[in-house]
Amino acid sequence: MRTDAVMKKKRKITATDTVFGALLLAAVAYMVYRVTVGLNYKWKWEVIPQYLMRYDSAAGSWVPNYLLQGLFTTLRLSFWGTVLATLFGTLMGLFRVSRRLFYRLLGRTYVELIRNLPPLVIIFIFYFFLSDQIMPFLDLDCLVRAAPPAVQRIVAIVFATPQNMAPFLSAVLTLAIFEGAYIAEIVRAGIESVEPHQWEAAHALGLSGWQTMRHVILPQALQRLLPALAGQFISLVKDSAIVSVISVQELTFQGTQLMASTYMTIEIWTTVTLLYLVITLTCSLAVGKLETYMARSHT
Amino acid sequence: MGSRAVKIKRSNIVDIFKFLAALAALAWLITRGTSRLGYNWQWYQVPQYLFTIKAGKWMAGPLMDGLLVTLKITAWSLIFSMVFGLTAALMRLSDAFMPRAIARLYLELIRNTPLLVQIFFLYFVLAPILDLSRFNAAVLALSLFEGAYASEIFRAGIVSIHRGQWEAAYSLGLSTFHTYTRIVLPQAIRRILPPLTGQAISLIKDSALVSTIAVYDLTMEGRSIIADTFLTFEIWFTVAAIYLVVTLAMSLAVGLMENRFAIRS
Repeated sequence: MRTDAVMKKKRKITATDTVFGALLLAAVAYMVYRVTVGLNYKWKWEVIPQYLMRYDSAAGSWVPNYLLQGLFTTLRLSFWGTVLATLFGTLMGLFRVSRRLFYRLLGRTYVELIRNLPPLVIIFIFYFFLSDQIMPFLDLDCLVRAAPPAVQRIVAIVFATPQNMAPFLSAVLTLAIFEGAYIAEIVRAGIESVEPHQWEAAHALGLSGWQTMRHVILPQALQRLLPALAGQFISLVKDSAIVSVISVQELTFQGTQLMASTYMTIEIWTTVTLLYLVITLTCSLAVGKLETYMARSHT
Repeated sequence: MGSRAVKIKRSNIVDIFKFLAALAALAWLITRGTSRLGYNWQWYQVPQYLFTIKAGKWMAGPLMDGLLVTLKITAWSLIFSMVFGLTAALMRLSDAFMPRAIARLYLELIRNTPLLVQIFFLYFVLAPILDLSRFNAAVLALSLFEGAYASEIFRAGIVSIHRGQWEAAYSLGLSTFHTYTRIVLPQAIRRILPPLTGQAISLIKDSALVSTIAVYDLTMEGRSIIADTFLTFEIWFTVAAIYLVVTLAMSLAVGLMENRFAIRS
């Protein structure tokens, strides 16, 4: 156990450090040996940049290629997924703390069902249901195609290109339904964290149950929830990788496609992993900042 | 007061019926809506994928085989995730810089990337390098992933042990190793066990992802049956129900364990 005395001591290399350092080096050396000698792997790192950005000779400018396109789709999925999941999760969170048993049962069933099923199974069920049964009903493709080009361009940047619209929206809805269960629990915790005398004070002022919730409790609860919601966005960035199995062209899907066409497995998966790390670590940093800022503004 | 209590109870019963009615309406809506759009419900086809009776003997169908594989993957991954988790936790609590740095790198790497990408990385990159089979790659990926989360549980459990216990052990002349094995870990384990069981439930859910590398677990069996028969809804609902039975049973076990291991003051 680290004691204060040990912590204050100047850092120096101990026997443990040497042992672990040697183990790490040995592991790395073994891998390098296996890759170069055992597999006879041909490294082609130089082609990775062209999958990130490519030069469009028609337009005369650099445009994002597969991997960056995938990354942007992942971000769009996560953003809209979080927005929808927050709306849905707040509703379900309110159900969970309702005084009526009916709403509590509905909320409870939803949360338990989603949280006790594998995300992959949920995605298969809902995606099939949404994309095969509901989306043809709405006929969004036609709607987007009929819109003027300027609107189409904005839609392509904010959501997806017309031909990818239906799978994109199905994926967003599925992720929102899935993530909503976790947000519902966060919302419930937030509402329950508001002190009971806030309720009492509101009642004493003559506010009704719903008015109290809307004007007194929810504003305070949502403020406390903000860091947790931001954390949920990071989760969604990671969870959105699952929708690659239903051929939504996000980062992981692009990785599998590129791997199938180029066989550069090590380079591609390392790049994909690094891209995810860039996003999640940046977001973690931002959430950390948000948390300290909010902690400071509260005291 | 008495009449009010009766009133609340009666409204609860009404609410339960309303809830059941809502569920029934939802089920009716799904069945009606899908069959109007041309979906042919064939529930009678499902039992043969669970069990078949051949010459008076019960034979497990593909879905039951899949469940067995899922449970096997979960069990192995659970064991290895404990090993990884405990090792990472002890490394993070170490005085030396190097083990702490390695453990930190491991945790950040695992917790900031999608599990699916880790599975692909292990299966397509590390498996050929280390000569791992499909099943072993799946178990390794899941246990590395779950180990990163388990390590935080272990660390929290170890740190929660009162400082006085360490000091008492040292003053009795026990080494760090003996302090851990004789004093700290036995006390920490009862605080660790309930959240670790929760982790096992996550493991069952996450194990569905190994179907992406064609390990024939419950999800993969479901996918292959659907590819053959197009019984999409029936099979997915059955698969979901099987997962639900397993995870809910384990949740129940966690609840019981939390009661059993509760530290009485």
